[in-house]
Order: sequence, then structure tokens, then C-alpha cells
Amino acid sequence: MDLLTDIEIKNFKCFDDFKADGFKRVNLIGGKNNVGKTAFMEACYVNVYAQDIYSFVYSLVDIKFTREALNILANELINNKNIDRKKFLELSNGILIISNLNKSSYKIEENNGIKKYIFKFKDNNIEVNVNEFSLETLMLLNVRFIDNFGLSNSNIKELYSSIQKKDKEQFLNDILKEFDSQIENFKIIDDKPQCKVKDDYIELTELGDGTRHLISIVVSLFQTENGYLFIDEIDNGIHYTQLDKLWIIILIASKKLNCQVFATTHSKECIESYYRTAKKLEDEDITFIELGKNKENKIKAMVYPYDWFVDEIEQEHEVRGW
Amino acid sequence: MVRIIVEGDDDKKLLIALLRNLKLGDKNTLSDYFTTMGGKAKLLDFEQEKYKNISSQIELDKITKVLFIFDCDLEEDDKKCGGYEKSEECFKKLKEKLNWNINIDYYIFNRNLDDFLVDTITPETKHKCFTDFEKCIKLKEIKPNRKPISNLYRDLYPNKPYDFSHENFNSLKQKLTNLFNE
Repeated sequence: MDLLTDIEIKNFKCFDDFKADGFKRVNLIGGKNNVGKTAFMEACYVNVYAQDIYSFVYSLVDIKFTREALNILANELINNKNIDRKKFLELSNGILIISNLNKSSYKIEENNGIKKYIFKFKDNNIEVNVNEFSLETLMLLNVRFIDNFGLSNSNIKELYSSIQKKDKEQFLNDILKEFDSQIENFKIIDDKPQCKVKDDYIELTELGDGTRHLISIVVSLFQTENGYLFIDEIDNGIHYTQLDKLWIIILIASKKLNCQVFATTHSKECIESYYRTAKKLEDEDITFIELGKNKENKIKAMVYPYDWFVDEIEQEHEVRGW
Repeated sequence: MVRIIVEGDDDKKLLIALLRNLKLGDKNTLSDYFTTMGGKAKLLDFEQEKYKNISSQIELDKITKVLFIFDCDLEEDDKKCGGYEKSEECFKKLKEKLNWNINIDYYIFNRNLDDFLVDTITPETKHKCFTDFEKCIKLKEIKPNRKPISNLYRDLYPNKPYDFSHENFNSLKQKLTNLFNE
């Protein structure tokens, strides 16, 4: 698996013409609200996902699906409306994402009343008449995007199998116990993720957001061996005293499993914990990516390699956007 | 954002106190304005990694103005960049090599920070006692710089370690005010 080291994003969400390079194995992204931290990760996600037409379409639909998860749920449950996946796909009309790994683009063309989708990726150029387009998709196993809520029960259940295949159930149990001493272990019982707390198994939905987020991250790390993991608001629901433990797991596991990680945060404590842990583990294969806006109001990325990042934190400089 | 580039932590401490006194910058994040280079030699060396980092931040408009503050030191201690004139010459070379396309200013302490501080000791803070003590123990023969005296001054007047009303601070105050207000 090759690392994604640089990217150019055109016409995608808040990015008109954006470039950044120098990414390493683990990359933490900071910046002010609405500067495009999640959109930046989505662009990276789409680019590495565009391996064939089916996976490319999956990623384009999935980025919108993830953002709209709550609204979709409300619509389907309350208003009984099905989601229009084609509409989700068409929202990405005109994107162009070029990285060291792939050149991916998608656009809609209309000629004499005939509407066509044009996909370009990995030297392929596929044109499909919209009426003949089946919207068949393919999910890649080793690329995963975790939103700020963590994974759903069904996703956790599915991904837990990768932990079982590697006989790492105890590893996850130990992590959970360190995270919350009341949690004795984790199991899938009656098709549902459950934790044993004080001799009783209780459903994951009954525990705090942090537990779900932590389990989501750990199972995803094992699933994305030789792949890519994107984690939105990594510290969501996790108490600051637990952050060092979280980063130790990510830094060690990502190295062992050969997985490239991108994560976003707003929190100073999370950034400082990332710095402290990388320094303690002497892991220099990391970056901090600060997103901000220049004088022309264009989004720019300041990519700090390990040494620069350490210096910025030690000099008490603000790295959460400008 | 502005950045003040200094030699070390003592300079940063003094300047943070001065910024507070002048009510310049965001009082909660004053450290954010400083980069300490780890000595004058490094401050005047354009190849320092810290300058590459700052250059990138300037390119992205994160840093928009820079003020360099450092000691001139004595010519006999540093033939290349010692003394006011040579310090200024070395700084101009640095500026040229950095080639930053932003507003850059500089302030050079006469001799060094310790001398500068000792010079601001006033009659109220027992100026005569300090100078008599310095002469009595023959400090210049033991240590050519006046760090022991400036440290003693700082220790004895911890609540008012610097007399910012002293006229010696005027030029520095002006540079800082320009940096934040212009």
C-alpha cells in the first residue's frame, strides 16, 4: 500500500483550487469551523477509493450519505421517504482530485437532451448514459471513513470479525478496560454489540458516545490493514485524560498494520496529546495539517512535518487555524 | 498574525511582560507571537529549520509581519556579528537571504538584554547599590556580562521586575506598538 502524500482538489465543496503535500502515515487535521477539515478528508477518501467505477460511485454517494445520515434516518423513519442515491452522486458534478496515487474526476454532460456521467480514474475513462446507469457500488474493505458519531451497530458487528480473525478480542477488551475500568469485555450478542459491565451485558447504545467512538476506531484499524482510515472529530466523546491512550493505540496499530490515518479535531488537548504521544514513541512518521484562509479568502494547508509540529507546540503557538 | 523572533526565553519573558504593560495583542495567547531561536548565532543563520517553517507560514498569509529582537553583544566576543554595526550588517544579510515579502522590522539591544535591564534600574530600585556592589565584587573581571546583576534585580523585585516607564524602553515600545497597530 502506498501512502497518499499529496493532493490537489478542484471544484469539490469548499475547495476551488487547493493543493497540499507532505502527508505521512498518521495525519491530524486542525482548523476553524467550516474551513473544510471534513471535506479535505472526503476528497482524500474519494481519491483512494476510486479504484474502479463501482468503488468510485460508492465513495461519491457515501460522502453525502454520511453527512446526511441523521436527515436520511429522519426522512425514512418519519416521512417514509427513500433516499435518492443518484441525486447524492450528482452533487459531486465537476470534481477533480489528483494525488500521487490517482487522478479521479466525475462530471455530468448533457448533449441533445442525453445526459451522461463521465468518470475518470486510474487511467480509465468511462462514459455512461444516465438512463443506463445502474448505480451498482462496491465497498472497499481496507478504506474506511468514521464520522463524528462513530460506526453504526451493524458496521461495528461487521468490522469486529477482522479483530476475531486476528485473535485480537482480548486486545480490544484490554483497551476498553483501560478506557473504563467498569467494562470487562466486548461481545456481539444477539447480533448486537454489547459490553459487560458489572457482570451484565449491556448494549453499546446504552453506553456513552466515547465508548462507541473508541470501538469504532479500533475495529476500523484492524479492518483497514494495508489501507486508509479517515476519522472525523477523533476525540468526540472521549475525555481528555484518555487521549494519550487513544493516540498510542493509533500510532502503534497503524504502523503495525500498515494503515495510513487521517483524523480531524477542534481540540487543543487532542493536538497536545498527539504531540506528546508521537514524541514519547519517537514516531516521526506523522504530520499536523492546519487549514486556514489566505488574504484572498482561499483555503490553504500548512502541513507541519514532525520537527516543525513539535517546535510549534513547544513554543505554544496556535495551530488550530488562521 | 505578527511574529516576534528572539534569541531565547529571557527575551520572550521580558517582551511578554512589556506587551502586557502596553496592552498589545491577545493577553491569553501572548506566547503565540514569539519564536525563540536558541541564541544569536542561530537567529542570524538563515538556514535554520525554524525559518523554513516560518517561510511556509508567510507564504500562506498565516504570518503577515515580523519583528526581530536580539542583542548586539560586544565586538571583541564576536568578530563577525558583534557590536551594533556588525549586528545590523549581519541582520541585513539574513533579511536578504530570507527574502520574505512582508513587513519586517528589527530592534537590537545595546550590548545585551542584561545590560539593557541593569541600565533601567532607577534610584527607587536602588540603582547606586547595584552599581556599587558590581564594582565592589569586581564583576567585570569575573564575568564580562552582567547576568548576575540582572538576575539579582529580577529576584529582588519579582513583582516589578522591569521598569517599563524608563526612557530606555521607549524605542522598543514604539517598535512593538507599530508591529501590532500598523
